[in-house]
Amino acid sequence: MEGVFDYAPAIAVFPLVAFVVALAFGKHLPKKGAIPGILATGGSLLLSVVMLAAVARGEVYHETLYQWAAGDAISEVGTEGITFTFGILIDPLAALMLVIVSLVAFLVHIFSLGYMNAEGETGLPRYYAGLGLFTFSMLAFVYADNLLMAFMFFELVGLCSFLLIGFWFRTKSAPSAAKKAFLVTRFGDYFFLIGVVAIAATFGTLQFAGDDSFVTAAETAITDGTTLFGFDADTWVTITALLVLGGVIGKSAQFPLHTWLPDAMEGPTTVSALIHAATMVAAGVYLVARMFGYYALSPTALGIIAFVGGFTALFAATMGVVKDDIKQVLAYSTISQYGYMMLGLGVGGYVAGVFHLMNHAFFKALLFLGAGAVIVLMHHEQDMWKMGGLKDKAPVTYYTFLAGALALAGIVPFSGFWSKDEILYDALIVGLEEPVILAAYAMGLVAVFFTGFYTFRMVFLTFHGEPRSEAAEDPHSVGWSIKAPLIVLGVLALVAGIANLAPVAKLAQLDITFLESWLDGEYGAIEGLTYGAYDGLLGYDTEYIGTESTTVLIAAGVSLLLAFSGAGLAWMLYNVPEPVAHKERLGRLGDAAEANYYQDEYQVWLANGLTVPLARAADRFDQTVIDGVVNGVSTTSLFGSGRMKRLQTGIVTNYAALLVTGFIVLLLVFGILGGWFL
Amino acid sequence: MTVAVEYYVLLSMALFCIGLFGVLTRRNALLFLMSVELMLNAANINLIAFAFYHGNLTGQVFALFTMALAAAEVAVGLGIILVLYRNFRDVDVTVPTTMRW
Repeated sequence: MEGVFDYAPAIAVFPLVAFVVALAFGKHLPKKGAIPGILATGGSLLLSVVMLAAVARGEVYHETLYQWAAGDAISEVGTEGITFTFGILIDPLAALMLVIVSLVAFLVHIFSLGYMNAEGETGLPRYYAGLGLFTFSMLAFVYADNLLMAFMFFELVGLCSFLLIGFWFRTKSAPSAAKKAFLVTRFGDYFFLIGVVAIAATFGTLQFAGDDSFVTAAETAITDGTTLFGFDADTWVTITALLVLGGVIGKSAQFPLHTWLPDAMEGPTTVSALIHAATMVAAGVYLVARMFGYYALSPTALGIIAFVGGFTALFAATMGVVKDDIKQVLAYSTISQYGYMMLGLGVGGYVAGVFHLMNHAFFKALLFLGAGAVIVLMHHEQDMWKMGGLKDKAPVTYYTFLAGALALAGIVPFSGFWSKDEILYDALIVGLEEPVILAAYAMGLVAVFFTGFYTFRMVFLTFHGEPRSEAAEDPHSVGWSIKAPLIVLGVLALVAGIANLAPVAKLAQLDITFLESWLDGEYGAIEGLTYGAYDGLLGYDTEYIGTESTTVLIAAGVSLLLAFSGAGLAWMLYNVPEPVAHKERLGRLGDAAEANYYQDEYQVWLANGLTVPLARAADRFDQTVIDGVVNGVSTTSLFGSGRMKRLQTGIVTNYAALLVTGFIVLLLVFGILGGWFL
Repeated sequence: MTVAVEYYVLLSMALFCIGLFGVLTRRNALLFLMSVELMLNAANINLIAFAFYHGNLTGQVFALFTMALAAAEVAVGLGIILVLYRNFRDVDVTVPTTMRW
């Protein structure tokens, strides 16, 4: 079936059509644009599954569809003529991600029927148009075959997040949060843009795959010891890799550019589910996975990724512990979980990182949609202290949410355990050799405890105990369009771990790491884009505590123990009929965590205290020195010509006299020089 | 009897100085124009004298050119003077100073 890939563009085009339809005719459609959205994302899902099946049969697709500019500049390594193209690359990674994105988008659309349409919301066509555009951008980003195309859709994803977070633009906080999300991620994207330009100027190509990819070019340059822009090739690769990482840190909400994400909770909960599970935040991590061959060339960049990831995982988890708003807890949990993915990728655990990306997409979409269901149940109340006792009144929501929570906390056998454990295991075996990685591992490990704690604090406060408000006593009912996506995702949160039961495989010597084989190109892959190829490039050494089996057991045991103790502590403190905050026990640390470690204040201070004076100084310099020179020149010539024009009398006789005088003077001068009067 | 070339030069110099004096002192545009003619003729005398002295015709040819030029110049000059008179009701060249800047 060669022709199957001919339909690949349609995967992204369907949601784009839905966007246009919702925008143009949404007002007149029965469900205000929901139906085209559902059909389009359903179509994308179907096609993505077909692509996945085709890849599983060993086919891959890499085609340039459209060339929109070509130049003949010579790059630093001597390649002539760079072309800017749109192309599609479908390899195992992209196929997997396409299915995840279109599945989550599909479920979010269905969920929206119950969440948005049921509430008499205005502006629904705008909402569905936004969802469609968001899905389109992300899908196109996922199968982009070059860095520039990826960058363009990366930006488009950012724009969509702006549009959707600011959906309730009549409130004060939503537009502000939307602006913040846009600007903070944009700040990272500046670095990304410079990185794209740098890579293009260095290697003369922006392709991800193939012989003429920049990854191959970089590898050759490092092997040959080429000097690029005055740096060693590997230093320059590190620099460009870190520049691109700027965009990743912004979009995937890693420290210190994570501050936009909790504020993004101002958008509709469904949008949060989409942003956190499959689109915006996932885009950053996916980009690292997509360019993993490039990052693998630079141990420094990988080390930074691992460290930033580990730190973010812990940092965000501690903030999640003290939040009272159910969506805020989930927001910090997202930051923390993406920290894990970065940690996994940073230590060379490509499979582990992608695995966690996949599992997280399922269980975080589940948790957000569950939170959305809770918000519907609670008549739009988000404060967990006003909930409680929802367990018996909404069993479907409770059990699906519980599945998501168990997966998030990393409790065996739910999906989150397998991927998080694999990340930590990969970090541990590399960390035994590299102290920096060991520090990142330690932070990730401690974060497991906090994850368990805040997850179950949320579950117990929301669903257990006695109802603490009128709304909790008499919850609103939820329809099938809310329950169905929850059930699908709940099942996935439970079973998705089967894809890669690495610890079991290692202990029992079984060949059941399907995801690893999948990403290693056992079914089909593009050369150089496989786990095996990346592994060959990595400069990490690994070590075990005793044998491999002992290490696996110890790593899994420790993280499971921490997860259980975190959940257990939450059980002790909050699974009581009348839970109290226990916040005073944390003292000033708790206050700091609740205030997000003053990150916003710090950044505002940075803007007001540093950037503004700097800008003022620059402005003054511009006004006085630069403009001073320009104005000085013109003033001088004005003054000079003012004086000069007094020579002009307008009287012909004077000019004649001047002419004659000048002639006589010239005559005398030439005469004296010529020696007439000697 | 041939006259020595120095005398022509002296005559020309005298004529030129008279013309220059006229240009520098007279205010009447017509006299101004006449003074210019005197200076041109001084130059002509020089040209012809030297042509005769050197025995070739170049100077004489140039003198003819100068006369043609002078005729053209007078035509233009008279035109200017007519406009001058129409605008200022006067032929005093010190009155129109509006082209100063």
